[in-house]
Amino acid sequence: MGNCCSGDVGGGQQAVGGGGMGGTASGLAGGSKNTDANEAIDHLLKSRGLGGLHSQIELSLSASNLRDRDVLSKSDPMAVVYAKRRDGQLEEIGRTEVVLNSLNPVWIAKITVNYQFEVVQPLVFQVYDIDSQFHNVPEKMLKVEEQQFLGEASCLLSEVLTKNTRSLSLNLVRREYGGIQPRKLSELTVRAEECVGSKTIIEMVFRCSDLENKDLFSKSDPFLLISRAAESGAPIPICKTEVRKNDLNPTWKPVILNMQQIGSKENPLTIECFNFNSSGKHDLIGKVVKSLAELEKLHLELRGENFFVPTVVGHDHHNKILKGQIFVEKFFESKRQTFLDYIAGGCELNFMVAIDFTASNGNPRLPDSLHYIDPSGRPNAYQRAILEVGEVLQFYDSDKHFPAWGFGARPIDGPVSHCFNLNGSTGHPEVEGIQGIMSAYMSALHNVSLAGPTLFGPVINTAALIASQSLVNNQQKYFVLLIITDGVITDLQETKDAVVKASDLPLSILIVGVGGADFKEMEVLDADKGERLESSTGRVATRDIVQFVPMRDVHSSEISVVQSLLAELPGQFMSYMRTRNIQPLC
Amino acid sequence: MDNSVTLEITIISAEDLRLSHRPLKKNAFVTVRSSTLDDSGTSSTSLDRDGGSYPHWNEKLQVALPASARSISVEVHCKTGTGVRLVAVATIPVSDFCEPADYLHFLSYRLRERDGKRNGIINLSVRMKGANPFGCRAQRPPAAPPTTWARCEERRNHGVALGYPVGYAYRV
Repeated sequence: MGNCCSGDVGGGQQAVGGGGMGGTASGLAGGSKNTDANEAIDHLLKSRGLGGLHSQIELSLSASNLRDRDVLSKSDPMAVVYAKRRDGQLEEIGRTEVVLNSLNPVWIAKITVNYQFEVVQPLVFQVYDIDSQFHNVPEKMLKVEEQQFLGEASCLLSEVLTKNTRSLSLNLVRREYGGIQPRKLSELTVRAEECVGSKTIIEMVFRCSDLENKDLFSKSDPFLLISRAAESGAPIPICKTEVRKNDLNPTWKPVILNMQQIGSKENPLTIECFNFNSSGKHDLIGKVVKSLAELEKLHLELRGENFFVPTVVGHDHHNKILKGQIFVEKFFESKRQTFLDYIAGGCELNFMVAIDFTASNGNPRLPDSLHYIDPSGRPNAYQRAILEVGEVLQFYDSDKHFPAWGFGARPIDGPVSHCFNLNGSTGHPEVEGIQGIMSAYMSALHNVSLAGPTLFGPVINTAALIASQSLVNNQQKYFVLLIITDGVITDLQETKDAVVKASDLPLSILIVGVGGADFKEMEVLDADKGERLESSTGRVATRDIVQFVPMRDVHSSEISVVQSLLAELPGQFMSYMRTRNIQPLC
Repeated sequence: MDNSVTLEITIISAEDLRLSHRPLKKNAFVTVRSSTLDDSGTSSTSLDRDGGSYPHWNEKLQVALPASARSISVEVHCKTGTGVRLVAVATIPVSDFCEPADYLHFLSYRLRERDGKRNGIINLSVRMKGANPFGCRAQRPPAAPPTTWARCEERRNHGVALGYPVGYAYRV
């Protein structure tokens, strides 16, 4: 093989291997094998368009002190769970079974909800007493309008998940009494549990012996492709190994599979062994079909399985058994830590806001200004960004004290400041709740005169200082800085330096661009669109911590803008925790 | 040795290494130097066999860091048929990892050749063990500026100095 083309082939082989292992070229794959495994799964999910955090949650419900509506016996309660849509409509997600004769029912049926970090997910629970005449009707067929209403409760899914115990008790209220409630309130308890499937990963090491030689002048260059049988059509590839060069008895690097992708341990998996060809037409050496359970058995019995190749003899299909065998050298099942494990363990996401007060926003008294406060109450672009990001993040911050700054303005008789406290206080940038940010923002508009230029460096450095101080106190915290801006930054290099430095800290930066300016430079900061950020001193960002979105059309009620902004946050959080091997508390 | 601390440096990997404009093939290794005077200030990884121009070591090195050191240097070498050749170097200011103390810093640097030409990137982690004589930035609460509408200029200047050893000037 000539020297000149070996580089290309190497690249191709990397690409083949890359499907499953992901992290080999990205450098910071981290210390432990476990990290590699997690990265591989993230990579896998991303490649399937599941970049954000989606996790299956099972809700279990119980109630106490339900009202007794039956004359001769106690109530026969059933709970129905609804998702409340943006327009206020209720959409049923599921219902429990009917528990007979109980005022303190513990329902067994679990309600499955798909948790999405970047979306606020309001849930409504309604409890009904099922009349005995319906007791033979399946729960799904029951019409709730025909049943006695016992009460209703609502909460956000994130409220339950951020609780230490992952359970939340809610008062059941009845609407028909117009607010007058009996002294002893009925209570509904919601417990949330992450489905085990999304947390289980399986690590295997495969070895083959006596593979057939497919190459003319050298030995075969084998790799494995693992696919899952699909309900319809061709099998879905899940994972590939790297290519072993010139090796008829290869052992590959560990292969990592996620239980969610496989379905169950009994699902058959197709493992195909190919000979790598730089043309991209890899020849099939042989295949086996085995479920995970069978693979585990092979491992325990130290047995090999012979490969076969499907052949056509006349009109008959039959499998030709080959001499080559596959062995499972290692089979290891483990649970990975998820974002929600950290959150339930007490790790907090601390929200911080910085608002652009530069003159390019326009005079706040005029309706065409981006800072114009509409007397009708319709939020301006800044208010909308704060509200939409804030309403998702606030529940991950238990004390709800949010630092809020402004930049690019001249506070009363002072020089231009590139980081002033929004509440006008001298020492404490923190305000209380999202409402606190909103009122501090409006009062700041009256107290400062808009100026320039647009500098991000001071705000990012101030946020980074807070993040690094939390490390000194050994708290498990992660910080999220939201910067809302209308224009092009003037201190690109200083901002880059600040971001590079902050990439080593538990901090992510979300930037929302408002107005019609050209935001090309922001894209540079958002490293997933280009190269890794490099500071003026040659230090390089260790991970991507900046996420940018332009909020172009202020007047449309598009919610996906904020969703795309928040979607990467759990991933950035996990990359921080995993590279440092930080375990969830509790 | 009393006024030096131990650095635990894990050389994780390097990316896109080139030797005379060609991608590196194999046998890259890294030498960390915290002091040119003392042997305890130098340590090297083993050779990377199969990573090519994207070598992966994940090897922990320990070096002593003299209190007077401003920076450490990380050198990527390559063992070739004709001997050991220097690929590129990165200089890491002590201020990049002395604070917060006892924190595992994950750092990446652009490597440069002797003549300053850009080469690949090196990824490593550093933890400073034991007491921190560098005292870096003194812990102080956010200073209250004289007027309301607090401005961060003061804190900002402070922020730029972030990481530069405050006690350092006195030591030199």
